Amino acid sequence: MNFTSPIVIAELICLIGAFIFLRNDKTVFWKLSIAYLLLALLTEAAGSYMSAKRENNLWLYNAFVFFEIGFIFIGIYHSLKDYLNPKPILFVGLGIVYAIYFGFILKDSIMVFNSVAVTVMSVVFSLYCLYYYYLLLNDDKFIEIKDHPQFWWITGVLFYYFGGTVCNLLSDVFDVRFGKGFTLRYVITITLNLILYSVWTYSYTCRAKQRKLQS
Amino acid sequence: MQSETTKITILVVVATLIFLLMPVFLIMYIRSYNRHKKNHILEKQHMQQKFEAEMLQARIEVQDNTMQTIATELHDNVGQLLSLTTLTLNSINLENSEKAAIKIENSLSLVRKSIKELRELAKLLHGEQIVENGIGNALQQEINWLEKTGTYVLNVRNSLFDLQTTSPDKDLIILRLLQEIINNIIKHANATAISFDAYYENNKLYLNVEENGVGFNYEATKLNKAGMGLNSISKRIEMINGKLVLNSTPNKGTAILIEIPYP
Repeated sequence: MNFTSPIVIAELICLIGAFIFLRNDKTVFWKLSIAYLLLALLTEAAGSYMSAKRENNLWLYNAFVFFEIGFIFIGIYHSLKDYLNPKPILFVGLGIVYAIYFGFILKDSIMVFNSVAVTVMSVVFSLYCLYYYYLLLNDDKFIEIKDHPQFWWITGVLFYYFGGTVCNLLSDVFDVRFGKGFTLRYVITITLNLILYSVWTYSYTCRAKQRKLQS
Repeated sequence: MQSETTKITILVVVATLIFLLMPVFLIMYIRSYNRHKKNHILEKQHMQQKFEAEMLQARIEVQDNTMQTIATELHDNVGQLLSLTTLTLNSINLENSEKAAIKIENSLSLVRKSIKELRELAKLLHGEQIVENGIGNALQQEINWLEKTGTYVLNVRNSLFDLQTTSPDKDLIILRLLQEIINNIIKHANATAISFDAYYENNKLYLNVEENGVGFNYEATKLNKAGMGLNSISKRIEMINGKLVLNSTPNKGTAILIEIPYP
């Protein structure tokens, strides 16, 4: 039985990194990152297992998307709150994404991949990330971005969701297979996951450094 | 069919690469912008430190100037008065009570005068408190000391007594500028008449000093870094975003106009 895939390995490394660097963190968001990564790892491992057994695992990924939306919104809130009160603008985005998510499930059932919600959330997350950069650039204070955990966390999100936009938009158009039967979509997804988890792991090291400096 | 699939593959791969490269360029831009922001902040901090150092220097110079004035006054004025009092008291002949009474009265008058002078000096010892009473008072006090020397015919117009706004840092620098200008006049100008005009207009403070001394070549003196404290005056005016207009004609005198955004 096959539980492993490049994505599972990337998630496992990121989870270990998160556990090492964030386990003593007192901020809720960073603590929550460990739980989220554990959930992502379990979902991916279970998804791989079900795929190997040729079972439909789309309901599992659809269920995970629910938590993914919530967690990414919390992360964006945590990053934006340094510059303004982000609740009003975030609640609008959150409302739209969840409305589409539940609307799609009610319409097509949970057994069909919720591509509309994933596409919309990718666009919404990308816009929030760009807005974060805008606020960062306009802020009078200077931050050393090289060691700034929120900056790198947001950068990971932007790479993953902005980079995955083409994939999401054209998901129904192509189904090209490479060696060992991987589809092009899967190859791109692996690449995006590797980027996301590498950048996030780096942001966790930055957070550990920041915490050390603040203590 | 195969060719169509290849085309779609290339299209998707290229599009994804472009979508991945865009954040890379964005991060590079943010990094570059951030570096400029850092340099700008560092430059601002540097200028602030420079300003603070200059303020400290101005404060020290004001104190030095005050101490010199006090020393001169003690030696030339109070010291003389007290010496005269001693001489008068020593010459008293108690057998001639009428003359003794006059001499004692004279001595008392000299002592009273000494006390008055010492009180005036004590005011100077407050140092920085000079500017706390307003820039108008601080400038007037400097002019008063100059007037007491009796060397110059002064024409003073000071409209800054009722100034409602204050700027302690700028006040100290303005006071120091006036002290420096007066020192230059005393040391180099050989003037007999000086006119002071201090006024406030359209959020700007103006200080105009004119004298009828020997004058000098401004351009040549500007190049000479050690020259007459002019560089120090220019630098300080520049530091508080002010302007200096200096007109000097050999054997006719010099006019200095200082314009400072205030407060």
